[in-house]
Amino acid sequence: MKILIADDSRVMRQIVTRTLRQAGFGDHDLVEAADGRQAYEMVVNEHPDLVISDWNMPELTGVEVLQRLRATGDRVRFGFVTSECTPEMQEQAEAAGAEFFIVKPFTAERFGEVFAPILG
Amino acid sequence: MSDSPGFVEPNDIDLKEMVDQVWESYLDPDGSAPLLMTGAGPDRFDAQASVSITGSWHGHVVFACSVPAAKLAAATFLAIPPEEVTEDDLADTLGELANIVGGNVKSMLPTGCFVSLPHVLLAPGALSKWPGVVRVCDLVGEWQGEPVSVSMWQEKREG
Repeated sequence: MKILIADDSRVMRQIVTRTLRQAGFGDHDLVEAADGRQAYEMVVNEHPDLVISDWNMPELTGVEVLQRLRATGDRVRFGFVTSECTPEMQEQAEAAGAEFFIVKPFTAERFGEVFAPILG
Repeated sequence: MSDSPGFVEPNDIDLKEMVDQVWESYLDPDGSAPLLMTGAGPDRFDAQASVSITGSWHGHVVFACSVPAAKLAAATFLAIPPEEVTEDDLADTLGELANIVGGNVKSMLPTGCFVSLPHVLLAPGALSKWPGVVRVCDLVGEWQGEPVSVSMWQEKREG
């Protein structure tokens, strides 16, 4: 599967990548986006199977990316890895079509719980 | 203080729990290099990052440390030797540390708060000031012999 990691922090993209490997998902094709607009364009152009997105990013927030994708009929599997976690954000993410919500700081065990059903 | 009913402002213990989670997850996963609380440290830091929180609560969360500590954190985050860490890596790492702690702080605040993108200051001896704010939480410690501070500041604002 192709997985798009969208985060404006290079170190956090690196940590997400490493944690995916530690959780046993290192064999997938990983691609990266450094802001929300780039994430949106990469989904449209590269058709990843899964998007793991930060919430608070320049250009477009993660939830804005998801809302735009859904508005165009794109059903890519999409979820958030974010330091912010409030009930209203989780409701907004769910309403937009997000499949998971992982809070930073996270562990490989947490990635395993969330991604095993998705990535197998 | 927010007017939200039932709201209890985060304290040093809450902040410490958040910071400990960052250390356990990213900076000290095997428990060999913990952040040790010293209660006192330098007045000024060479490397700082902050996020601002606005909305129903106004303030700032600041992560500050020495350059060697920032370099060690970036090297740990990126899994590279400290000597390969660039200035961009330092800024990115510090910003992400402030962002993670700030995001976790937000979850304890009344609904309707927003966290800014991080601001990073790499300047020896620089002193960041926000006029009209008061420090509400303050953790000062050492990590691998280097000073680290995490603090939370509240802006007193009418209306």
